[in-house]
Amino acid sequence: MSDAAFTAFAGWLSESGEGSRPDWLESQRLLARERLADLGVPDRKTEAWRYTSLKGLMEQGFGRTGETMAALQPDDLEEVLVPGLDAQRILLVNGRYLPELSGQGDLPAGVRIGGLRELLASEPDRLREHLNAVAETDAQPLFAALNTAGLDDGLVLWVGRGVVLERPIELVHLSVGLDEPRVAQPRHLVVLEDGAQATLIERYVSLGDSIYCTNTVLELSLGRDALLRHDRIQMESANAFHISGLYLTQGADSRYLGVNIGLGASWSRTDLNCRFQGEHAECDLQGLYVAGDGQLMDYHLDVQHTQPNCNSREIFKGILHGHGRAVFDGRVFVAREAQKTDAAMSNRNLLLSESAEVDTKPQLEINADDVKCSHGTTVGQIEPEMLFYLRSRGIGASLARRMLCLGFAEEIIQRLSAEALRDHVSERVGRRLESAPMN
Amino acid sequence: MLSVKGLTANVGDKEILKGLDLEIAPGEVHAIMGPNGAGKSTLSHVLSGREGYEVTGGSATFEGRDLLELEPEERAQLGLFLAFQYPVELPGVNNTYFLKAALNSIRKARGEEELDAVSFLRLIKEKLKILHLDDSLLKRAVNAGFSGGEKKRNEIFQMALLEPKLAILDETDSGLDIDALRVVANGVNALRSPERSMIVVTHYQRLLDYIQPDYVHVLAKGRIIRSGGKELALELEEKGYGWIDAEGQAA
Ligand SMILES: Nc1ncnc2c1ncn2[C@@H]1O[C@H](COP(=O)(O)OP(=O)(O)OP(=O)(O)O)[C@@H](O)[C@H]1O
Ligand SMILES: [Mg+2]
Repeated sequence: MSDAAFTAFAGWLSESGEGSRPDWLESQRLLARERLADLGVPDRKTEAWRYTSLKGLMEQGFGRTGETMAALQPDDLEEVLVPGLDAQRILLVNGRYLPELSGQGDLPAGVRIGGLRELLASEPDRLREHLNAVAETDAQPLFAALNTAGLDDGLVLWVGRGVVLERPIELVHLSVGLDEPRVAQPRHLVVLEDGAQATLIERYVSLGDSIYCTNTVLELSLGRDALLRHDRIQMESANAFHISGLYLTQGADSRYLGVNIGLGASWSRTDLNCRFQGEHAECDLQGLYVAGDGQLMDYHLDVQHTQPNCNSREIFKGILHGHGRAVFDGRVFVAREAQKTDAAMSNRNLLLSESAEVDTKPQLEINADDVKCSHGTTVGQIEPEMLFYLRSRGIGASLARRMLCLGFAEEIIQRLSAEALRDHVSERVGRRLESAPMN
Repeated sequence: MLSVKGLTANVGDKEILKGLDLEIAPGEVHAIMGPNGAGKSTLSHVLSGREGYEVTGGSATFEGRDLLELEPEERAQLGLFLAFQYPVELPGVNNTYFLKAALNSIRKARGEEELDAVSFLRLIKEKLKILHLDDSLLKRAVNAGFSGGEKKRNEIFQMALLEPKLAILDETDSGLDIDALRVVANGVNALRSPERSMIVVTHYQRLLDYIQPDYVHVLAKGRIIRSGGKELALELEEKGYGWIDAEGQAA
């Protein structure tokens, strides 16, 4: 792919000059812009893009999501809410934070939640230390750099030392169809200071099935002994492009429990990057993806065990039906000094049709000698004995298959932080399987 | 009720059932005994429609219908039930959901109304009690992580719930402790009725002390080689299978 194609694709970037930003941020944006030019557009020879083509994305004539917002009524929201979920809601529409439609609630002292734009204006110094520090600007890959180059708005969640935030924060990304395809680039910063605890539910939803692109970057910084539960649920429109980069650093004794559910978008790419900065930290990355006709879901994990005595789990499961495609590229790196590392990665896939496809590539790169590391992948079909067991109880073949698929998915769904969310995801996965032809 | 005539079946190239005959009338309990590898489970599987067996000859009819041309779920809907020798674990499939799907699929196929949640739960609690099973079982995944004995009890619990016309119990007694054996046998006996028939596959007389059969058959090398009353089981226990083999040869 030519760089001219990329310039054409990212033409909207130049329109994003409005607003006043601190100088340090302006220079980061500039730096990212230069980096974009240096990086160029990866082709299939680039390892990170070996199985996933950028062609379809680059050929879209995107504009940037500007100030003009589709008129949105509170009623419109009903459609995309999770019934019975008790959480403090933050709403972003087409990448822009909407305080007036976000939930209000009393926050414990020491907790700060707000729009990135707003906080950049009021408390820039608080942000400076972390923004583009968890994901360092001069190391960002293409789409993260693109996000930084246009860095503008998103969510800031800041939980102070020792504060336990009981109520989950629900971050809803709502995309509303506009006349022309647009790119939204929300940028989020989550900081848990030492001993802080929080639950973040991050959801991507749409009204209608229009074409758009979300390119989001999250920087998460966990202090010593902090705990973050993080549910991420991607249910973008069937025609959307979804790119998401998560950059996580973990202090000593901290715990991160992340569950990634992928159901939507026609083309999606998720990068999960974790780096330990202290000992005895634990990182749990789980995922479930369901891809059918016209869908590609690409997951890249990069877990850096650069400290001794840390644990990580990478457990991803996929259900592929119709012409669905998925990519799982999981990398666990263990540095020489990271003794007593305990890492286990698994990727299991259920292929429900002959035209479904998955490329799975787990990689362990171990440089220490006293470690416990394992990985395993499977690509298989529904077990005939299980199917027979259900059918022998009078259950028809198609319902039986659906029950087994849902059972396969349930292991991951059950890891979600709230019952209402688990029910919601189960229901959506079930609905998807109902419409998926199985043979 | 069930009529099997000259049934022959292969797994791959290997012939396992070699001309098997069996007649079961409503209300009868038939015990089938026989050495390991004789084809007892194969018979159960062929009757209930499991894949992987090729029926090469003979027939099996259930209440006048040709069993062998039906899908497994259709056979179950007609009232056939197999308690598995090795119940299958279904991780992630919730037991309550499973039981409800099974019961309602069968009811629907028979043109009956599906049970609502309340009546279903009431029914389930009642059946749990018969098998001395704990409520907590309902929240778990089907058979996943169950002990051997729990799995067997769960099979009979499902049978109690689905109320089949013909139940095939394939070594339901193996792996049960003495108390569990009594509970399971009581559960089975509670289901005995003039309309309901059973095939009880077992290696041990002890189960037959509890579930008294009307007939005992010896299945060896793919055939029923001897049939008799319940005293045949006692004779087998004493003399082993070699005795029949030898007699059979002589005859
Ligand atoms: N899928 C299979 N592939 C190959 N051989 C098979 C298969 N299933 C059954 N067999 C063979 O068929 C024969 C009969 O097996 P079956 O399980 O019916 O015996 P059984 O009478 O139930 O024995 P047991 O008392 O040990 O349960 C055995 O020799 C067994 O190895
Ligand atoms: Mg057997």
